[in-house]
Amino acid sequence: MIQAVNLCKSFGNLEVFKDLNININRGECVAVIGPSGTGKSVFFRTLAMLEKPDSGQVYINGTDITGKDVNINKVREKLGMVYQGFHLFSHLNVMDNITLAPLKVKKMNKSDAQKKAMELLTMVGLTDKSLSYPHQLSGGQQQRVAIARSLAMDPDIILFDEPTSALDPSMTGEVLAIIRKLARSGLTMMISTHEMSFAQDVASRVIYMDEKGIYEQGTADQIFKNPTREKTRMFIRKLKVFSYSINSRGFDMVEMNVQIELFCQKYNIEPKKVNYIQLVLEELILEVYGDSSINLQLKIDFTIEFSEERNEILISFVYDGRSFNPFEAAEESEHLGMVLIYGVSKNYGYSFENGLNTININI
Amino acid sequence: MEFFETIVNSLCNNLIGGNAWLVLLNGLWVTLLISASGLLLGTIIGAILCAMRISDVGFLRTLSKIIIAFLRGSPVLLLLMVFYYVVFANSRIDAVYIAIIAFALNNGAHIAEIMRSALSAVDKKQLEAARMLGFSKFRAFLAITLPQAGRIAKPVYQNATINLIQWTSVVGYVTITDLTRTVNNIGARTGDPFFALFLGILLYLCLSYFVNFLFSIGSRKKEVL
Ligand SMILES: Nc1ncnc2c1ncn2[C@@H]1O[C@H](COP(=O)(O)OP(=O)(O)OP(=O)(O)O)[C@@H](O)[C@H]1O
Ligand SMILES: [Mg+2]
Repeated sequence: MIQAVNLCKSFGNLEVFKDLNININRGECVAVIGPSGTGKSVFFRTLAMLEKPDSGQVYINGTDITGKDVNINKVREKLGMVYQGFHLFSHLNVMDNITLAPLKVKKMNKSDAQKKAMELLTMVGLTDKSLSYPHQLSGGQQQRVAIARSLAMDPDIILFDEPTSALDPSMTGEVLAIIRKLARSGLTMMISTHEMSFAQDVASRVIYMDEKGIYEQGTADQIFKNPTREKTRMFIRKLKVFSYSINSRGFDMVEMNVQIELFCQKYNIEPKKVNYIQLVLEELILEVYGDSSINLQLKIDFTIEFSEERNEILISFVYDGRSFNPFEAAEESEHLGMVLIYGVSKNYGYSFENGLNTININI
Repeated sequence: MEFFETIVNSLCNNLIGGNAWLVLLNGLWVTLLISASGLLLGTIIGAILCAMRISDVGFLRTLSKIIIAFLRGSPVLLLLMVFYYVVFANSRIDAVYIAIIAFALNNGAHIAEIMRSALSAVDKKQLEAARMLGFSKFRAFLAITLPQAGRIAKPVYQNATINLIQWTSVVGYVTITDLTRTVNNIGARTGDPFFALFLGILLYLCLSYFVNFLFSIGSRKKEVL
């Protein structure tokens, strides 16, 4: 249905995506997610040739639409777009907004166009607004009209670019309900969105965009329940990550603590937990460096992952050298530090693999 | 009673005597002719200058910028005199036509700027939305941008029109007998300048109202935006 092959796009020095490949089949509903600024909008705009790709092709029903001799207006009749900002024609009323293109582009006759518009307005639940002007409607209503306007051309596919991002939370529901209905009816669509639960619910396929392209894709369950790649996982779980490296025993612990403090403040982690994090890390570092048989140039890397969604903190603490499990060591002799760690952590684990010791602690 | 008689006397002296009302009507006609033609031609010139001003060709943009700056910066009376005494000094062209050219150019520069600012005030995404529905660039411009820009420009354009009419009162400097010149002549002839000049002001006022009326016809139908 719509296919992108090695699509590349940059603005000057800014490379938005490169070698992007995707194939969307008839009837699919593909959700595109990813952090702000990863190029979801630019991707959609490039598919519609509103931005000229630097290289690569876009095929719609098998024809390459990037060519010079393609009548892009004809192509776009079958390619709908719904914007974050609605962009209804402000000088026309709802009815005229919807019938304008069918009348002028498709040369439909007026009564047919109006009849069709009325059907669409019924579908989006706005029959009583047909004579209103866009500025008289709420955001949610405007977006519903914009969807009807797009549907009036009978498109093969609609691209929804963050259709609810500009809306009040109280109005997103009415718009999402219509998009959901369209997806169920088998309309081919792509939708970029920050509404994760909606994407999970409605999408037959989810694409996570990052790192200048499609970073990971799969079914909604795969992406939302079992993301395999690092950044996807961080994005889905809304993880905030802090990493830090220590190269020798003589490192600056005060500076480390300040940085942890700043990170925690930024994400509003409760002060009690901040103390625990610092305590656990200090004790672990002491344990590791305290083991006399261990090389003093030992390298430690740790990350603090904070999941906003679950309000959970995961510390992973990795160091090289020989296998050394401080939890075992603590059992042999009384270590006050380790007792403290047991006290504040929800659970903990140790593993040794490829010459790296890894300790995971949940707080 | 006496006051009333004075007025009637003045009226007779000024309007009936020597068929003054015919002369007056002729002056009014000249003013209208210069204004309307200046406006029409000015609008065409303005559209061309504006198109150049927003075109992709750097040379055209610069050229129109210079022309607009020059035309807007020079007083219309001086422009008129330059045309009359210098540019067309040796030609046989009627002074009225020269005035029309001068006013069209001056007015065109103003209209070009009015058009440009109106166009830039229109939401460009609406044009894009139309293109996504299959409109060509030109037809999307006609269907979306133009009507919206027109609506934004209208009040400014209306003002420019009234300004233009009033500025045409300087054409007497180049021997044209327009409304202003006519009332001046009548006043001089009857020795009662107050009445004649006042009548002139009244007539200009009527013209303004007439213009406002014309502009309000269009917007009466749709009271939006
Ligand atoms: N016309 C343009 N000129 C230059 N840079 C642009 C242009 N349009 C977008 N960009 C840049 O391209 C990058 C991707 O932008 P894009 O709007 O596609 O992000 P997004 O994934 O849609 O983000 P969001 O979720 O905030 O909408 C951004 O860094 C943006 O600044
Ligand atoms: Mg976007």
